[in-house]
Amino acid sequence: MSLIAALVAVPLIAAVLLMLFRSESQRNVITIAAAAITGVTAVAFAVQYLFVGHVSFALPQETSYIATWVFTAIDIVLCAVILWHAVRYKNRLALVLGLVQTVGVIAFANMTLSEGAGHMLPEPLYSDQLSVIMVLIVGLVGSAICVYALGYMHDFQHHEPAGAPDRRHFFSALMFIFLSAMFVIVLSDNLEWLFTGWEITTVCSFLMIGYTRTDEAIKNSFRQINLNMIGGLAFLAALIMLHFGGIELSLAAFIETASTTQAAVLIFPILLLSVAGLTKAAQMPFHSWLLGAMVAPTPTSALLHSSTMVKAGVFLLVKLAPVYMVFPAASIMVVTVGGVTFVLCSFMAISQSNAKRVLAYSTIANLGLIAACAGVGIAEAAWAAVFLIIFHTVSKSILFLCVGTVEHRIGSRNIEDMDGLFSRLPRLTRFMMLGILGMFVAPFGMLISKWATLVSFAETGNVVFLILLAFGSAATFFFWAKWLGKLAGVAQKAENVEAGVHRSEWFAIGSIAVLMLACCLGLPAISLGVVSPYLEATFGSNPQFLGVDNMLIMAVIVAFIAIVFLTPWGRASKKRRVEVYLGGTCTDPDSRRFHGSMGRTMTSTKRNWYMQDIFPEHALTNVGVIVCLGIILMAFAACFIFNTDVLTGGTFYVERLPRLVGPGLPGLLLGVVVFAVCAPVIGCLLDGLDRKVSAHMQGRVGPKLLQPYYDVRKLLAKEQASVNAVDEAYITCAIIFCLLAGGMFISGSNLLMCVFLVTLATLFVIIASYSARSPFADTGADRECLQVMSYEPMLLIMTVGFFGATQSFDTASLLTLEQPMIISLIPIFLGLLFILTIKLRKSPFDYSYSHHAHQELVKGITTEMEGRTLAKVEIMHWCETVLFLMWVGMFFIWDNPISFVVALAVVALTWFFEVFIDNNSARTKWQFGLKYAWLVALVAGVVNLFYMLITPFI
Amino acid sequence: MGYASKSPWLIHYDGSSCNGCDIEVLDSLMPLYDLERFGIINTGNPKHADIFLVTGSVNHQNINVVKHIYEQMMEPKVVVACGICACTGGVFRDCYNIIGGVDKAIPVDVYAPGCAVRPETIIDAVLKAVEILDEKAKRLAAGEDPATIGKPMPETPNAPVDERHAAAEATAKAGEAKTEQPAAATKQTNE
Repeated sequence: MSLIAALVAVPLIAAVLLMLFRSESQRNVITIAAAAITGVTAVAFAVQYLFVGHVSFALPQETSYIATWVFTAIDIVLCAVILWHAVRYKNRLALVLGLVQTVGVIAFANMTLSEGAGHMLPEPLYSDQLSVIMVLIVGLVGSAICVYALGYMHDFQHHEPAGAPDRRHFFSALMFIFLSAMFVIVLSDNLEWLFTGWEITTVCSFLMIGYTRTDEAIKNSFRQINLNMIGGLAFLAALIMLHFGGIELSLAAFIETASTTQAAVLIFPILLLSVAGLTKAAQMPFHSWLLGAMVAPTPTSALLHSSTMVKAGVFLLVKLAPVYMVFPAASIMVVTVGGVTFVLCSFMAISQSNAKRVLAYSTIANLGLIAACAGVGIAEAAWAAVFLIIFHTVSKSILFLCVGTVEHRIGSRNIEDMDGLFSRLPRLTRFMMLGILGMFVAPFGMLISKWATLVSFAETGNVVFLILLAFGSAATFFFWAKWLGKLAGVAQKAENVEAGVHRSEWFAIGSIAVLMLACCLGLPAISLGVVSPYLEATFGSNPQFLGVDNMLIMAVIVAFIAIVFLTPWGRASKKRRVEVYLGGTCTDPDSRRFHGSMGRTMTSTKRNWYMQDIFPEHALTNVGVIVCLGIILMAFAACFIFNTDVLTGGTFYVERLPRLVGPGLPGLLLGVVVFAVCAPVIGCLLDGLDRKVSAHMQGRVGPKLLQPYYDVRKLLAKEQASVNAVDEAYITCAIIFCLLAGGMFISGSNLLMCVFLVTLATLFVIIASYSARSPFADTGADRECLQVMSYEPMLLIMTVGFFGATQSFDTASLLTLEQPMIISLIPIFLGLLFILTIKLRKSPFDYSYSHHAHQELVKGITTEMEGRTLAKVEIMHWCETVLFLMWVGMFFIWDNPISFVVALAVVALTWFFEVFIDNNSARTKWQFGLKYAWLVALVAGVVNLFYMLITPFI
Repeated sequence: MGYASKSPWLIHYDGSSCNGCDIEVLDSLMPLYDLERFGIINTGNPKHADIFLVTGSVNHQNINVVKHIYEQMMEPKVVVACGICACTGGVFRDCYNIIGGVDKAIPVDVYAPGCAVRPETIIDAVLKAVEILDEKAKRLAAGEDPATIGKPMPETPNAPVDERHAAAEATAKAGEAKTEQPAAATKQTNE
């Protein structure tokens, strides 16, 4: 109890002190001390309550009554602030909304306060695991961001025009008030108090966005307050309805009422609260406030969009998750709005070159995912939502802070200008790369959470959302990978500009990075010790869809990736350095200048790939706003159309708990060893056979069967040279991930993990290629990203189909099937065949790399890889080929030994078919590949998944 | 026999020539002659190549290109001069702009004469080059300098290789204003 008081009070006192003592040195001391105390208190609070479960804190009703008076007074003050600003800047909409809110707040206070102290909740505060997680997020990440702001704002003020007023004390104070309000939100059971915290965050962020007081800032801050006031009014309306409905104004009572016969009272309040949550979480159609908020100084963005403001929105939704099981209208509304927002914002992020806008869109997209998970209302989805919240917070805050610091160092937040940052800001860039990896690849938390999302949507048979998730994730890969590529470029003679980074900035970024790695490594522990008990208590079920051995393996991989990025391991500094290939004489490899014809010196430039014509921001925004607004209106309309039996009848749901039949850790390791020995041999022979068969198709004799082996042996013996010191280390990682993926597959372990690891391997090849900063290799890598984006949806759909057919993600379950999967998965199998050509980089889809002779990209993605590095890439291709063919074969396995013969025959046929296509088709344009791969995935996915997942409901 | 000779990958550059030999080289890479029998692949990338096939003679324009491609190839590597122009300058040897055969720029291991050189001669020369490649691979594995086989780096009228960057940079700076064409020639767009 006293800890809660400390959590709320310390930031408030700090805010007051900051307003009083305005010099920079005083501010530094106050901020660091307050942040430290807040952090320590949060940790102490966690230590005390993390493993205890749900605890309610009693408060004398008189105290509560006084507190409610205070909170009401704060509400009115906030309204006054809004009205004052609305009048000062002549914003009519804000004025109208502010007046409505003032009237609402006063009327509501009249109702509740007039009833006297006797009606106050006896236990207005509570703590459970979810609250503790939020306290930790706010207390640790939030405080770190406050510390970061010291150094950042110093530079910020420096960049302001001379004579600009120094209002940094105000900024710092706002940040601390924000933290305080967040603690109120996550710990109050009393909905009135929660509402006040909610409004404080709204108004604080309004003031922070408008901090610079430029026209743009003012405009965007009003956009923020107007949209969020809609949410606030919805919240207030919900409270008033609850009051009239005779329900206690308590979150716990709200959730309990949903499962009683009184549930009909909640039909509208739950919709209204959902709308409030969606506005705060910046979901379409309200998302524009978050984009506008990017004009604010970067600590604002970091605080608002990673750890506090938007997290308050999704916190409320996750808190309400059990309720959504009862109310289909609200559930469908939240899930669909979240899903549509996820996919559209992921698409729009592709077309952005402003780093902060990319982060903004990705934030909105991820919040959409969390909202959708919360809206499903089952335990698996809530698991996913909680982990998405954790990992999104840590990864995104690192990224925001890094982008802010980078902006001050290089004077730009454009991704194009971050070219070669790996050499200019070595340490910072590595943190940034870690943050990016954390956002989208296995085995970092975000991806595991996405996985849980996939499981929960397969369980509820939500085909539409599964499809949205598949395509959104593919787009996510594309925009992150290309940004990562820009960062990864190693310039040979770069000037290190890292010296000016403040110690406070290093501290904040470093500590959040440590927190992120700790979360990744500790994922099994967090899942078993914290989240599972929470779900057990809230939903009465404890999802186990991921074996502990799998989680352990992932933790090991995270550690491994951290080592690769953060230590000098694998830096082949002794290798001879060579210049990039520019097709002629290169005069300066760093600036990619070369001697052209007629004695001219030319510069080769290479921009990232934005595809504005395929993913136009404006058009997608319109679509999203219209669709989401439509969904929200329809949800409200549904409440008038249907009777209460339907509206409180619960959502469709079939229990589909995944069976865990994986082999356990020893079996898995054995699988990896077997695969590591056999796959290169088989792959090498297949490659040789491929060349032999191709030769015969062209009327030639062709090379010897072992030709690929000779090639690799020759490459291994070549002179060791490289354009930079890191590419070989990346490729080594790629091989290891590929072998792990194959090992998981043949040992009967998790198929989804196998798919993700292969993608991770590809990502590392892509980074290796980007690191050379060669125009040819870069373009090859871009196209490889495109290929991944093209085939990824189909692969995800394939794994969902697998789950539908076997009730498990473990490939070992194939051996227990009575009939092969192909019986029910023909469309998905055909889709897989289509993308297999892309995956094997065979004509007509050999965009990024070609086995044959020339292509216009020299050797595409492998152009800058020499000797041993190239040999490793070849070996990796062999292993990949074997693995992909096994994916084809698995469709024909059932619990009969003969099935292996059948599968082998099908694999042989498929392989021959691929070689045939390769030899008989010309390369197409990438637009064709992307369009048809997605079309095939969409058709195959929709048709097959509807059939698979909807059947049980009929 | 080592592995170097079993998988000779080549790159082809056409210098100052009538393009006859150029066509013949492409010809010999056609399915009819099936060079892949010997593991030969036309890579088009010096970093992957073991054998450098040069046709045509060396002039002041292309000498740096020839040298640069040679430099970017990894040891062990061999150079085959295809056609009489590449060997000696051929009919063009007295032209004002011609420096001479390829050996004026880089060390040549095998000379394949002919005007134009016939595919059979090219294949013969490549197979000859493959033996040298093996020998060089052996030297490299033993820790010796593979360049000791074949002729040493020739003296040329141009600036030595090491000074090339400095010279090129100077030219670039001098002509920056009028000659620089940002993003014009090799802008690798994604279209």
